[in-house]
Amino acid sequence: MPISHEFEYHKAKSIDEAVKLLSENPENSKIIAGGTDLTVHIKEDVIAPDVLIDIKAIPEFKEISFSNNVLSIGANVTFSEIEDNKIIENNFRVLWEAASTVASVGVRNRATLTGNICSAVPSLDSAPALFLYDAEVYVKNSDNERVISINDWFTGPKRTSLKKDEIVTKITLKFPKEKTASCYKKLGRYKGEDLAQVGMGVLVSENKEYKVAVCAVGPVPKRATKTEEFLKGKEINDANIKEAQEILATEISPITDIRASKEYRTHIAKVMLEKGLKESSDLLSGKEVKSEPIL
Amino acid sequence: MKEYRYVGKPEIRIDGKEKVSGAAIYTDDINFGPDLLYAFIVESPHAHAMINSIDTSEAEKYPEVLAVVTGKDFPYKFGLYMQDRFIFAQDRVRFIGEQVAAVVARNPKAAKAAAKLVKVDYTEIPAVIDQMEAVKEGSDLLHEDLENYNHVPWFFPKPKTNIAHWRKIRKGETQKGFDEADYILEDTYDVPRYAHCAIEYHAATGLCDKSGRLTIWASSQSPHTQRHLFAEALKPLGFTHKDVRVIAPHVGGGFGSKAGVTMEILAAAIATKVKGHPVRIMWSREQEFYNTYQRLGVKTFLKIGVKKNGKITALDHKIYWDAGAYVEYGANVVNAVGLSAIGPYNIENASIDSICVYTNLPPGGAYRGFGYSEFLFGLESHMTRIANHLGIDPIEIRRVNAIREGDKTAYGANMNPNGLLKAIDAVEKEIEWHKEFKSSDPNKVIGKGFSLLWKAPAMPPNASSSCFLKFNEDASINLLVSGMDIGQGYLTVMAQIAGEILGVPPSKIRTENPDTDRNPYEWQTVASHITWGSGNAVKKAALNARDQIFDLVVRTKHLPKDTLYLEDEKVKCTQNPNFELPLKDFVVDGIQMKDGTFKGGPILGKGTFLPEFSTAKSNPETGQGGHPNVHYTTGAAALILEIDKHTGKMKVLKAVEAIDAGKAINPDLVKGQIVGGLVQGLATVLYEDMRYDDKGRLLNPNFTDYKLPTAKDIPDKIVPIIIEVPQPDGPFGARGVGEHTMLPAAPMVANAVADGMKVRIKSMPVTAEKVVMAYLDKDK
Repeated sequence: MPISHEFEYHKAKSIDEAVKLLSENPENSKIIAGGTDLTVHIKEDVIAPDVLIDIKAIPEFKEISFSNNVLSIGANVTFSEIEDNKIIENNFRVLWEAASTVASVGVRNRATLTGNICSAVPSLDSAPALFLYDAEVYVKNSDNERVISINDWFTGPKRTSLKKDEIVTKITLKFPKEKTASCYKKLGRYKGEDLAQVGMGVLVSENKEYKVAVCAVGPVPKRATKTEEFLKGKEINDANIKEAQEILATEISPITDIRASKEYRTHIAKVMLEKGLKESSDLLSGKEVKSEPIL
Repeated sequence: MKEYRYVGKPEIRIDGKEKVSGAAIYTDDINFGPDLLYAFIVESPHAHAMINSIDTSEAEKYPEVLAVVTGKDFPYKFGLYMQDRFIFAQDRVRFIGEQVAAVVARNPKAAKAAAKLVKVDYTEIPAVIDQMEAVKEGSDLLHEDLENYNHVPWFFPKPKTNIAHWRKIRKGETQKGFDEADYILEDTYDVPRYAHCAIEYHAATGLCDKSGRLTIWASSQSPHTQRHLFAEALKPLGFTHKDVRVIAPHVGGGFGSKAGVTMEILAAAIATKVKGHPVRIMWSREQEFYNTYQRLGVKTFLKIGVKKNGKITALDHKIYWDAGAYVEYGANVVNAVGLSAIGPYNIENASIDSICVYTNLPPGGAYRGFGYSEFLFGLESHMTRIANHLGIDPIEIRRVNAIREGDKTAYGANMNPNGLLKAIDAVEKEIEWHKEFKSSDPNKVIGKGFSLLWKAPAMPPNASSSCFLKFNEDASINLLVSGMDIGQGYLTVMAQIAGEILGVPPSKIRTENPDTDRNPYEWQTVASHITWGSGNAVKKAALNARDQIFDLVVRTKHLPKDTLYLEDEKVKCTQNPNFELPLKDFVVDGIQMKDGTFKGGPILGKGTFLPEFSTAKSNPETGQGGHPNVHYTTGAAALILEIDKHTGKMKVLKAVEAIDAGKAINPDLVKGQIVGGLVQGLATVLYEDMRYDDKGRLLNPNFTDYKLPTAKDIPDKIVPIIIEVPQPDGPFGARGVGEHTMLPAAPMVANAVADGMKVRIKSMPVTAEKVVMAYLDKDK
C-alpha cells in the first residue's frame, strides 16, 4: 500500500543535529530508527508526521558497553544485536531471552530496544527485563539531558514520560550485586512470532530476594511488588508458590481481547510464576535447566 | 497392476526450474510500461447502508487522476452460480469493505490520496451479522428481490427471506431409524470463518485497447470462467467472448480464493473507461482478508442414532451457513455439503438440511475442502463420542459403518469403487492405535485422535476440459491445456499422462499456464477434479495423436496398426523388432515416399472430456434421483497429540493420513499434497479464525492476529500413505486428492483432546486457551 502523504526526511549525523531538528517542529516530527512500528502506522494513515528524523547514522547510538556493572545500550541497538551480544547473554539473561522472542528474525534485525519502549504497547517483551535490572532511560533535548527511571517511564498504554522535544540516547541496566538467576516467560498463541499475551521476568537472588516483572497483563508493564514482598526471604516450595500466585492475581489487571481472555491470562500468569521461580531457583543452585521462554 | 514408464513415477516438476531460478513470472511481475495506471478502491465503512450520493468532483481534480468510476458506470450484475452482485455497489452496500468506487491515477500514491476525496453519503440500515438471527422470520432482509435473481437450476432460494438456497436430502425413513436406535446423540457444533492467506495477493491488470479488445492478466484459478463472467457482465458495453482474453501467469497460491471472480472484474470493468491504458489492481493483505471469498461460517445441529453394535440407524444433520452478503459462489458450497453431509457412511435413513443464509459479512466462497471440513468437524467428533459411549473402539465404529462400493449415497446413486477400508487399516497400523502412549513429562498428557474423510468434486454436471497437443520438429511436445498449476503440480502430471501414451519423457513436454485465446477450454481449477477431468482430456488428445501417427505409419509402411506401439520417442512394431521409426523424423515434416512425395503433416492431437453421466436434476424435496457428484475420494487419518495440562499448549507428535488416489500419477506430488493439506488443516483447528465485532467489522485482517503456523509449529512427523483403488473413469485410474488432505485435521484434534484431557471442544478453533479453560472448569 502506498504512503499517500508528503513529509520531510532528515538523516541526522549527530545527536546534536537530531535534537536540533526535533526542536524545530516537535509536535509534528517523528524519530525513525528501525521503523518497524512507524512505517506501518504511516502507511495505514494512523499518523501523518510532517518530518521524519532518521537516527541510524549517529555512531554513538550503535554502542553497547559494559563497565562498572552498568550495561549501556545505545538508542539504535537492534534486538538482533542484543541477541548476538555475549555480555548480555551471560549477564542479563532475561533481556537476552526476551529479545529472542520479539517478533521474527526480519523484524529483530531492524527493531530497536529503544523503539520498543517508546512505542510502549502494554505487551512489550523488553519491559520485564528492564524492570528486573533497574533500567534508566537517558533522554535529551536541545537544552539539557535527563535520566528517567524505568519505574517512571510508562505512563499508560502507548504513553511514556518522554516529551515531544526529547529523544532517547541510551538505556542503562544494572548488573545485580548478589548472585542471581533469572528467566523470561512469554505466552504466545503459537511458537512463531507473536505479541505477548502474558510476559514475565523472574529474578531470584542468593539471599532469597525475588523480583517479578510483568507485561501484557495491565495498561503498563510493571513490577509485581506485593508478590515480591511476600516471597522475600522465603523458600520456593509448593505452599509458598500457591500463595504467591494468589497475590500475583490481585496485582495484575489483564483484559479480554482478541488475543486472550483475562481469565486465561490470569491463569497463565500464575503458571508462569511457578515455572519462573522454580527454573530460576534451579539455575541458581547450578542445576541444568531445559527451558524455553515461549510457552 | 501394470507398470508404467512415466505414470506413477516421481517425475521432477516441469515448472520447478523456472520457479526456483526466479524466472517464473507472476501477475505483478509483468512490466506494462509507462502507460500503466493504478486503481485504488473506495470501500464501504458500513455493514449495511443505502448510498444516497457519491461526490467524485474533488477526486477528479486531483493531479494525475485520469478517472473516477462508481456503480453508475457499471449497472451490471455477475455471479458464478447466482447473479446476486454488482461490479460496484449500486444504491446499497452490504458488507464492510465492499467496493463503492475506484480512482484511477498515474501512480498508486495519487490514486490513494484522491480516493480519500471521494465523498459518499450513506444512511445506515440494520445489519444482520449472525446467520441464526438472519434465518429467523421477520429478520431484516439483504436481498428483497431475491426471487428475480438468475441462478443455476439446482438452487432453491426462499423469496422474502435471507435463505438463498436450501438443499434437502430425505433418504429412507429417518424417524423410523431413530425409533430403532439403542442410543441417540444430539449436539451442536460451531465453525467460524477462515481466510485462505495465499502468499501472493490477488492481482489483476486490465487493458482495453482502442479497438475494443479487452485483455486481463490475473492471478487466477479459473481463466476461462473469468473470461466467461467478464464477457457476460460487460455484454451491454458490446463485448462478446471473442473480444475478451484472460492471460494467467504463475500463481502464488490459491486454495479456492482465486476461483470464480472476485476483484478481477474491477480490472476488466475499469479498463473499459481508460482505453489504451493498462490498469493495475493489487489487493493489500487486509483486502485479502475482507474482500475476497472467505470460508463460510457454520453452525450444525447433528443427531445420530445407533444400535448397540455401533451400526447407524439414522442421521439428521441441519447445517446453517453464514454465507455473507453475496452467495454467487458460496451457495454451491452449501449445496455440495447438503449432498454429502451423511459422511463416508452407509446410512439407510438420513435427513439433511443445508441452508445458505445471507448475512452482512463479506461473501463466502470456495476454500480448499469446499464445506467438507466444516461438517466433518461435527460428524467425526460425533462418531468418536458415540463409540466412547458404547464402549466400542472409535476405529471399529467407522469400519462397521464405512461406505462400500455399490452402497447408496445420500442422493441415491451408487458409491464408486474406493479404498476407504484399506485406508482405515493402514492408518490404524502406522499410528499404532492400540498402543498406550505416555508422556515423559508429568505436566503433559497424550491424546490420540482419528477421523475419516471424504469429498466429491462440486461442479456443474457439464463442467468440461479440453486439450490440444502439438508435436515440434524434434518430437518435443507443446501440450495446451487450461487448468492452472497452483502449486499442486498439475502441469507435470498432465505431461506424465501425455508422455506415457506417446512414449515421450515429460522433460520433453512443455505445458504452461494458459491464455484463453490460445489454449482450449477448461472450466476451473477447483474441486480437486483437474487431474481427473483435464487428465482425461489430455489422455484423449494423446490417444488422438497416437492414432494419427499409427495411421500414417500404416499408410506409408504398410504395417498392421495393432502391431504398432510407441516407446523411447519411436514407433515400434511387436511383429518386427528391427522396425524403429523415430518420431522426430516425421511428426512435423511427414514421411517421404519412394517417389519423393511426402505423406502426413504436423501431428495435432485434440481431446475433450465432459462427464456425460452426471446430472443435477433431482427431486427438490428429497434430493433423490440425480447423479450430481461424479465420484468420491475417501481416506482416513490419525494423530498423536501431546497436551500441556497447565497451559493447554498442544504439539502433534505424529500424524498419519491415508488417501485413496485411485492412481497416484506422481506419488511425490500426492505426498506433498497430504503433508501440505494436513498442515493447513491443523492450522485451522489450532490457531486460525476470523473474528468479527457486532457491527460486522473484521477484527483481525492481518497476520498479527490471524495466526498461520510457522515452521516451528508444524508436527514433528507426518506420514503420508497412498491407497490405490482405481477410479474406472479416471486417467490411469486417478482421482483427485488436493482438497481432501486437510479435511480430517479438525475432528481428529478435537478427538485427541477429548482422549487426553477428557474435555470435548465443540467449536473451532480448538485453541490452547479453550482446552485448558475447559479442563480447569471440569475440575471445579
